[in-house]
Amino acid sequence: MRDFELNKSELSIIDKIVENGSGDSDNLIKILQEIQLKLGYVPKQAQRMVAEKLQIAVSRIYGVVTFYNFFRLNPPGKHSINVCLGTACYVRGGKAILNTIKKVYNIEPGQTTPDREFSLETVRCLGCCALAPVMAIDGNTYARNNPAKTREILRQIT
Amino acid sequence: MNIEELKKIKAQFRPKLENRLDSRPLEKNDDRKISIMVCRGSGCIASAGKTNPYEAFVNALEKYNLQEKVEVVRTGCHGLCEQGPIAVIHPGATLYTNLQAGDVEEIVQKHVIKKEFVERLLYWDPVKKKHISSMDNINFYNKQTRRILYNNGLIDPMIIEEYIANDGYFALAKTLEMDRLAVIEEVKKSELKGRGGAGFPTGLKWEFACKAKGDQKYMVCNADEGDPGAYMNRSELEGNPHAVLEGMVIGAYAIGATKGYIYVRAEYPLAIETLENAIAQARERGLLGKNILGTSFDFDIEIFLGSGAFVCGEETALLASIEQKRGNPRPKPPFPANEGLFGKPTILNNVGTLCNIPLIMQKGADWWSSIGTESTKGTKVFSLTGNINNSGLIEVPMGISLGEIVFDIGGGVPNGKKFKAAQLGGPSGGCVPAQYLNLPIDYESLKGIGCIMGSGALVVLDEDTCMVDTAKFFLEFDRDESCGQCLPCRRGLPLMVDILEGITEGRGKLEDLDTLQNLAEGVAKTSLCALGQTAASPTLSTIQHFRDEYEAHIIDKKCPAGVCAVFFKSKCQNACPISQDIPTYLALAKEDRMEESYKVIKQTNPIPLVLGRVCHNPCEYKCERQKLDEALSVRHVKRFVADFAYENNFEYRPPQKPEKPEKVAIVGSGPAGLSAAYDLAIEGYKTTIFEALPTAGGMLAVGIPEYRLPRKVLNYDIEQIKKMGVEIKLNTKIDSIDKLLDDGFKAVFLAIGAHGERKMNIPGEDLKGVCLGMDFLKNLNLGEKVDIGKKVVVIGGGNSAMDCARVAKRMGADSVTVVYRREEKDMPAIKEEIEAAQKEGITFECLSLPVEIIGNGCVEKVKCERMTFDNFDASCRKITCPIKGSEYTIDADMVIESIGQFPQSSWISESKVEIAENKRIIADKRTLVTGREGIFAGGDAFSGPRTVCEAVAEGQRAAFSINQYLQKLPLSEVMNRQDPEKYLVPFASEEEPQEKARVAITEKDPGTACKCFDEIACDYSKQEALEEAGRCLRCDAWES
Repeated sequence: MRDFELNKSELSIIDKIVENGSGDSDNLIKILQEIQLKLGYVPKQAQRMVAEKLQIAVSRIYGVVTFYNFFRLNPPGKHSINVCLGTACYVRGGKAILNTIKKVYNIEPGQTTPDREFSLETVRCLGCCALAPVMAIDGNTYARNNPAKTREILRQIT
Repeated sequence: MNIEELKKIKAQFRPKLENRLDSRPLEKNDDRKISIMVCRGSGCIASAGKTNPYEAFVNALEKYNLQEKVEVVRTGCHGLCEQGPIAVIHPGATLYTNLQAGDVEEIVQKHVIKKEFVERLLYWDPVKKKHISSMDNINFYNKQTRRILYNNGLIDPMIIEEYIANDGYFALAKTLEMDRLAVIEEVKKSELKGRGGAGFPTGLKWEFACKAKGDQKYMVCNADEGDPGAYMNRSELEGNPHAVLEGMVIGAYAIGATKGYIYVRAEYPLAIETLENAIAQARERGLLGKNILGTSFDFDIEIFLGSGAFVCGEETALLASIEQKRGNPRPKPPFPANEGLFGKPTILNNVGTLCNIPLIMQKGADWWSSIGTESTKGTKVFSLTGNINNSGLIEVPMGISLGEIVFDIGGGVPNGKKFKAAQLGGPSGGCVPAQYLNLPIDYESLKGIGCIMGSGALVVLDEDTCMVDTAKFFLEFDRDESCGQCLPCRRGLPLMVDILEGITEGRGKLEDLDTLQNLAEGVAKTSLCALGQTAASPTLSTIQHFRDEYEAHIIDKKCPAGVCAVFFKSKCQNACPISQDIPTYLALAKEDRMEESYKVIKQTNPIPLVLGRVCHNPCEYKCERQKLDEALSVRHVKRFVADFAYENNFEYRPPQKPEKPEKVAIVGSGPAGLSAAYDLAIEGYKTTIFEALPTAGGMLAVGIPEYRLPRKVLNYDIEQIKKMGVEIKLNTKIDSIDKLLDDGFKAVFLAIGAHGERKMNIPGEDLKGVCLGMDFLKNLNLGEKVDIGKKVVVIGGGNSAMDCARVAKRMGADSVTVVYRREEKDMPAIKEEIEAAQKEGITFECLSLPVEIIGNGCVEKVKCERMTFDNFDASCRKITCPIKGSEYTIDADMVIESIGQFPQSSWISESKVEIAENKRIIADKRTLVTGREGIFAGGDAFSGPRTVCEAVAEGQRAAFSINQYLQKLPLSEVMNRQDPEKYLVPFASEEEPQEKARVAITEKDPGTACKCFDEIACDYSKQEALEEAGRCLRCDAWES
């Protein structure tokens, strides 16, 4: 799990949430849910701060955070890329699109680039199967895609 | 608050509800108050997108100053989620669907003010094919038994008074006056079983907790609802939250709990908001918290949010989660009823179970259990999703059949696709295929076929679903959601997923099916919790019911549904029985390279002029383009290319290998025989086809009429085959295989087709004027004199029956009537044939069964019985049975029976080749070898009456086996096809395809066409062919 640098505002958000928690481990999950909602992920540092405040082992918190899908360990990128790998897109080269993006940014699905610009996910059907293969970036759909087009689109976004 | 105050509130708010229950439709000068019930369920909110129908209604009413006369209510989910955003208008229960921005104002202007329906926005019934104005006439609704869902759509879930007005909290009032044990007895008496999936008797569970010792007891509601495809609980919470609360308070009272939790998944924000509001209001009214309803009973509820873990739907995992831990299940015993949350006695009930409790206490266990089956009383809410027309939430009595749910309530499968199976129970469940459509749904009957009810997700799967892929999907889901504690689940599930991935990626072996079975048994017996124990259920269930699909993936390296992409480059070619390289020949046609296109077609198609006219084109049913606009008209473009070659004398025959010494005999010159000869000739063998009739072609010559397949093109295709050195001996009936072997043939292919016609076996069949369909068509096609009556009755509903009817018309019959025992939509004939027959003036008497042919020497009348529906059969059609006393007669002077064909194979059994009871020749499914070495069988004679293309495919298959046999090679199960010349037509993917309908096929006007035997369908023009070929999406042209 990459360790991301937290800025001042993020740190103060975590502080506030932890303070408001009643201080006993009965509210662990609620506290973690709030951090996830406000920051978009639960950074390692936040886990350490919660452990300190609630007087429980970091390993226990890490165990909870990694167990539940709700909690992300990587911050959402400024741009979120969703590559569809539903059947129609798979047939028409969806994997090649995914591999292209993986190569360009050196991340796997579920991860975020270190500069927090891009996060990558695979999804299972955006519902435009006749225009496969499809990817969505920041809610915009790009259909009839291919590796060359993908590289061009990514270049244009940055 | 006490019961008197409850009664006061009910009296005050009841009139509001009465108004909404008034189902008398609005009349012109109606002055009854109007209620607009706008659905605010998550589904309708999602489909509304940026519009807000509720606000739009409020604004429109303000604009027309109607706020006094009209109320707008935001209700819970109405259930018909496919058609959202939804609004129902009372009085009259008018259902408006798919509301968009401008529609609301129109509804106010027309319906509210002028009392006229807005026809185009009314619910469209996919079966009756018309708009329906009242919910009472909508099958989706009137075939349900809406007890729990009753309030959804009736009340505003954010207003507690409306719940009370519909008897809400009266059950609680009654309960608090009873002894705890009496409450438990009542619940036990009802035989209510948990609705979460396990189906454990609720009353019994409560009894355990009641008897358990503990200073603190807990009542917990499971609203985690993790099954993919299930959203019943969400709608129950969003639409009728107080029922859940009331159920919990009653349960808490019964067991002696003072604290409760509702564990809701975080992905349900609207349910959470609704619950929070409901809890606050209940507390305010003294229905929750301290001294409930003025008694000494205290009970309060806290909401706990789930964090996205499927396993937390499991009882002990859920409780661990509330304890702020990882959601790891723990072994049972001890059961939570004795040792649960924080070690105290705890009852965990599903939302659906709790919703039933107030009904049981209010109306009594006897009333509640008066519907249902022996093993399962009451109703169940299902989320009906997948390939189904009326997708949404339904509530049905236990014991209803699957067929009724899918076809009567659900409106059947969309886009003309066939039903394949229903998946119940999500990742823990199994599939129910078509042969169980009559299965009454309850806990026991589903267990009997290796399935479970589950929480209520009912996913309908159509013919385009790959069952292996589906099994893999559910197993991958369980693997991802496993908590990882116990070895069998942690290691076993990924191992099983690996095997399934291997099968779907072409690496499967037959032993894999046994390995999966063994692994599944081991994992099921030794896993700690239900997730591991049931994870393999979908896999085992699909292997049980769809083994041939697994075998196709493993042995044939084929995915029949066209899903597992590694096996094919385009769905059309995958669906084609003879694997025509459709994208390539269409691409060549598009570029006007007709000769090359023809060559590609002839690689695997020996009779393109024929198939271009009569193929049943399975390719078009799988064409990807239909998701955009319409499927490609593949067959008609193929016909153009074949006609082009024919008209321009461009002959092409695939190169033939050097001549081999062995001679092969083929009995039958139909499509199977012709195609076997073609492929054998390519391999270099000298082949002789023996044909009993005076003309070659089998059914192509003596079955299919001239107006569908002109004889001159059939004969041209046959000539091309003869030019490859194939000899056809006409007028030569074979009656002994041994004689052929004695004559020096080294292998024999039996392709005699199915030319025998079944008889009705009813009285009067011997009268003059009664004949069998096959004889009628054959005699006509062979040029013999055939008498035609003036009033012809054709019995049957297949393609052959249509042929008989349309031929009779052309021969001059005044009236032609087709009599069929099921509904028109169930006729096996292709739709185009039925429509064409109707356009030519042929009448159809459906749901009728002839029982006697009446006449004095000659036919005078046909006596028929009307039929009504019984249960479903495995072909997803309803069996019909006669209505007593419904007999009627049709005047007729000629009756043609066309109810089914069979092979005339008795001479074959005398040659020591086995025949089945249905007269088909017995041979290996894949190699087509019979029980006798060197003797092969294929086509209709082997598989029963099927299509031309499938017969051609079997001819090719037989040729492949015969070649292996003659080369002294072992017969392999998989046929390796080699395309000698490979074309790669590049594809420029720059433009996005625009929606464009397929180029229509011009046909002669039916009024004139039915007077002669000229071909009806006209060829495309060159321009049209290029245009249609250009619509191909080139699914084959992508980087992989």
